[in-house]
Amino acid sequence: MSGAIVVRCRGVTRTYQDDAVPVRALRGVDFTVDKGDFVSLAGPSGSGKSTLLNVIGGLDRPDSGEVEVDGVQLNDLSESELSDLRLSKMGFVFQAYNLIPVLSALENVEFIMQLQGVEAVERTERARAALSALGIGELEHRRPGELSGGQQQRVAVARAIVTEPVLLLADEPSANLDSTTTTELLKLLRTLNETRGVTIVAATHDPLVMGFAKRQVNLHDGMIAEDSANAVPD
Amino acid sequence: MPLKLLLQLSHRNLFRHKRRNFMLLLAIVVAVSGVTVMNSLIRGFQYDMQDAAVSNLTGHVKILAPGYLDDPSIEKSFRLAKDWQPDIDPKQLEGWAARIRIPAVIMSERETRGVQFVGVDPTQEGISFLGSAAYRGERLQSAADRRVVIGQALAEQLNTDVGRRLVLITQGADGLNREAGFRIAGTYDTDGNGLEKVFVFTGVERLQSMVDAEVVTEVSIKLVGAPEEFSIKASLSAFFTDLDVLDWQELEPQAAAMFVFADAAIFIWFLIMMGALIFGLVNTLITAVMERVREFGMLRAVGMRPSAVVLQVVLESTLIMAVGVALGLFGGWLFILWIGEGINLARWAEGVDMFGMRSLLVPRLLIQDMLLVAGMSLFFGFFASLYPAWRAVKIKPLEALRR
Repeated sequence: MSGAIVVRCRGVTRTYQDDAVPVRALRGVDFTVDKGDFVSLAGPSGSGKSTLLNVIGGLDRPDSGEVEVDGVQLNDLSESELSDLRLSKMGFVFQAYNLIPVLSALENVEFIMQLQGVEAVERTERARAALSALGIGELEHRRPGELSGGQQQRVAVARAIVTEPVLLLADEPSANLDSTTTTELLKLLRTLNETRGVTIVAATHDPLVMGFAKRQVNLHDGMIAEDSANAVPD
Repeated sequence: MPLKLLLQLSHRNLFRHKRRNFMLLLAIVVAVSGVTVMNSLIRGFQYDMQDAAVSNLTGHVKILAPGYLDDPSIEKSFRLAKDWQPDIDPKQLEGWAARIRIPAVIMSERETRGVQFVGVDPTQEGISFLGSAAYRGERLQSAADRRVVIGQALAEQLNTDVGRRLVLITQGADGLNREAGFRIAGTYDTDGNGLEKVFVFTGVERLQSMVDAEVVTEVSIKLVGAPEEFSIKASLSAFFTDLDVLDWQELEPQAAAMFVFADAAIFIWFLIMMGALIFGLVNTLITAVMERVREFGMLRAVGMRPSAVVLQVVLESTLIMAVGVALGLFGGWLFILWIGEGINLARWAEGVDMFGMRSLLVPRLLIQDMLLVAGMSLFFGFFASLYPAWRAVKIKPLEALRR
């Protein structure tokens, strides 16, 4: 599975102004993710893990350094080009699910495929298959407000994977879930990683998430402090 | 651009805050209905004024001797061949009338007044108020009728009545005064009493005999409908080379100016109503956008282009505006149907008369006005949505997701 590099960061720096006080969130990070990897970005608050995830996802721009995703340099892309790149190559799982409240679970999963212009019949078929694979096929007509937190996060995962992205980015995916639901979700991500070869990068401070990743990268004060392989859990 | 998806999102978002959007929709409906009803009343006023001006012995086009308007006397008259007919397509011609109209003094046993003494052929007067007025007593029967009909208001001023005699003094073609007695055949009653006090009618042949000249002072031509362009003027001018051929706007400049003013009033009224409405629309859309900052951030994060975000906000605004405009036009139409008989302005009869209007204001709903309201409302709605859309697209996905 591994070999091709999906993410490459070279000397990435990012400084924020927090109440006029500069905060150096990333201080020259060099980082690569191979295809098929499952990486957890760990570290205390303010260590720069979310910033690194956002820079990789094109949601934030580095002050200096280069970011490359699946061979595409992000630095010089316009907002629209970044949108297109996220649409075609990335899947996102957010901490707060961020489903569209006026769409049903099925429509939420279909949403990105609609943006991609996938035909209606194929779209619905793939969305149903994704929801079924995540064990919530019977909830397809419910809107987010009618689903529990765990169910919403599964819909968010289904939305993120249904387009078979090159890279799945997850920001604190377990933050609003109990441990049982978190374990179920992580097993699911792991299965996706192993069976479909989805490359996953998750920013987290949850040891449970770190334990499920194949590789753990610890950040401290905007720099990579440790980068190690994990033992694969059962 | 996934237009179908954006339409679906926009449509559902409108039902997300039912009460707020219902209030906004109601405001649009009331504003559009109000503009539609007001426009129809202004149009009613406008066309009534035009109709009154045209029916006031003016017609759409009139042939006069040069200088008659400055000195309306028998000296400013002309001969008209007995077999003359206007060379106009009969489909465009409602009718025409040749008259003598000269100043005169009218006397009863008790009172004396200055009037316009008009010799008419009653068979031709279907084009003027004389044909549609209500009568007490009899109408004039022919061009040779030797009696007079006077306005009801003048009869009251002169303290006289149907069947009694009056004396009229006017100047003959030779410049000498002529005096003759006339029996009152009937009194006419028009909507306002301005005309009733001014015009006294007799048969045109009788008046020609009184002034001792087989002449007329005017030929009025009325066309079908309410045309604004008079191509027949040119052909009439070519035929009557030594006479003036004038249209009603030249003959009644005050009414013509009011006609133009009514067009402007419709537009100004529309701008005022829509201006107030647009503030509400912009405010509601900005609120809707700011409430959904996270959602817009997420849409951008998962790959929706900025242009699609703009389109979504514009579609939401346009959708609610389109529904509001359709309901507003329908509501306005229903209201106009309800007042279809017109609004009675008799209480303000003197003021109404001054504007040359009738006392019943009948609304007039024109398709072009409805299209103007619909088109301009959607246009304003579109522009009102641009600022909120710009606000939506300025939201940084990352900042939005952090909220």
